[in-house]
Amino acid sequence: MNPGISKPSSVTRRQFLRDGARAAGLAGLGGLLGLVAERSTAKGTVWQIDPQKCVRCGNCALYCVLEQSAVKCVHAYALCGYCQLCTGYFEPDPNDLNTGAENCLCPTSAIKRTYIEDPYYEYTIDEQLCIGCAKCVEGCHRFGNGSLFLQVRHDRCLNCNECAIAKVCAGDAFRRVPADQPYLLKTDTF
Amino acid sequence: MNPAESILTRRRFLVGTARAAGLLAAGGSTVSWLRAASPGRDANPFALDVERLQHTDPKLIHYEQVARFQGCAPDPRRIAVGPDDRVYIAAANAVTILDCNGRLISEIACAAPVRCVAVAAEGTVYVGVKDHVETFDRTGQRLATWPSSGRRTWLTGLAAGEKDVFAADSGNRCVLRYDKAGKLLGRIAERNKDRHLPGLVVPSPYLDVKLAPDGLLRVNNTGRHRVEAYTVDGDLEFFWGRPSAGIEGFCGCCNPVGLALLPDGRHVTCEKGLPRVKVYSPKGVFESVVAGTETFYENAKTGALKTRSDGLVGGLDAAVDSQQRIYILDLVANDVRIMQRKA
Repeated sequence: MNPGISKPSSVTRRQFLRDGARAAGLAGLGGLLGLVAERSTAKGTVWQIDPQKCVRCGNCALYCVLEQSAVKCVHAYALCGYCQLCTGYFEPDPNDLNTGAENCLCPTSAIKRTYIEDPYYEYTIDEQLCIGCAKCVEGCHRFGNGSLFLQVRHDRCLNCNECAIAKVCAGDAFRRVPADQPYLLKTDTF
Repeated sequence: MNPAESILTRRRFLVGTARAAGLLAAGGSTVSWLRAASPGRDANPFALDVERLQHTDPKLIHYEQVARFQGCAPDPRRIAVGPDDRVYIAAANAVTILDCNGRLISEIACAAPVRCVAVAAEGTVYVGVKDHVETFDRTGQRLATWPSSGRRTWLTGLAAGEKDVFAADSGNRCVLRYDKAGKLLGRIAERNKDRHLPGLVVPSPYLDVKLAPDGLLRVNNTGRHRVEAYTVDGDLEFFWGRPSAGIEGFCGCCNPVGLALLPDGRHVTCEKGLPRVKVYSPKGVFESVVAGTETFYENAKTGALKTRSDGLVGGLDAAVDSQQRIYILDLVANDVRIMQRKA
């Protein structure tokens, strides 16, 4: 090649197609990212249970379309008395205040009892085991401070257009809430 | 097949249609019957069954109701009976004073919600208004407003002695001892390892205090389900009580929520959750039931399935008059029952 002569740059068909494909790919990727960004900031709504309306009817455990309900018991620790005799944990008239299965209320042993100091105990919910039956919620609500309550957990809820539980909710407690504020915590409503 | 048989006549068509309709109707009826017989949506397989605990053995009930009247103000909290057998009810922003038939005599108005009331032998009325005590003479004239003892103070029970006034402070989990001029003399029942005091456990604001004929204070340690006896200087002398939904114990997370004392030192205890009023000996041995859960229909429904209010708004309180009749204040039904021992 003679370096003194500048040859006009020519684009081959192969090069044109390759660059075109790259540009299209980038544009598509940009569009996808834009769409994702737009969806993540969109003010959509999700299902949630108003704890002030919930009547602990048991339907959350029975009617969710998932095999294990997306409704779980959650715990407002600020309201909890950390009671030795937790009425959400123990049967109404337990033989003894220990973790024996015959003394416990939860049908799936989803509540863990941890000693803190005399006479205080902490109660935590294992969401893998909780089926949202509200038996513990009823015990806490009836005899205690009502610190246990139900919420739809959005790490598993399918956010169906027509929630199967909402259709049968005895307390009409299901409602749509903003997706960026998906929980109705009891500390907020008291 | 005879070709004539394959021809669908109008008669055969009508007969076939009628048969099919009959079969459909029978099938529909069967399905309806099966649906009606099976548990409906109201049946809750996870229901918490406490019905068996709501019935009291009639042999244990040693009292009968002789009168009942409605409270005069909403949101009642505590009841006291004065030396003249007048009934004092702390409710809303006032203390209503009634005669023993429930007729309103007068009212002492306060600037904030009244949580508790006590009447001294000479007639002075002590009123707990959230974080401080206000005093009134027997005509309802204000005598003094004592200073608050602290930011977290939440007074829920009062007892007036000859020289001292004792205020149960649910917020700080202790009993405040005042002289009659309102000077704070000490704090009783606070956790103190050196004095072997385990401290009060108060999951919900129902701490109460009464001064017994033996000169000791009785304090309900609700989270431990027991009644504790302290000297006025704060030494723990003895305690009794155990957690149980059975009739001899105290049910729920925090009971008893109210105390009263008979002249011979026997204890009258009030519970929430399973609302019931019982009598225990001076040493804490269960003796009898004044009124069982079935007596307090509205109160027992508080926090129950398919209701929205929780256990925090329930409860009972009691006071004793000069004839040893027990006055029970129902915080939910907002009424007073006068119970007299059966002959």
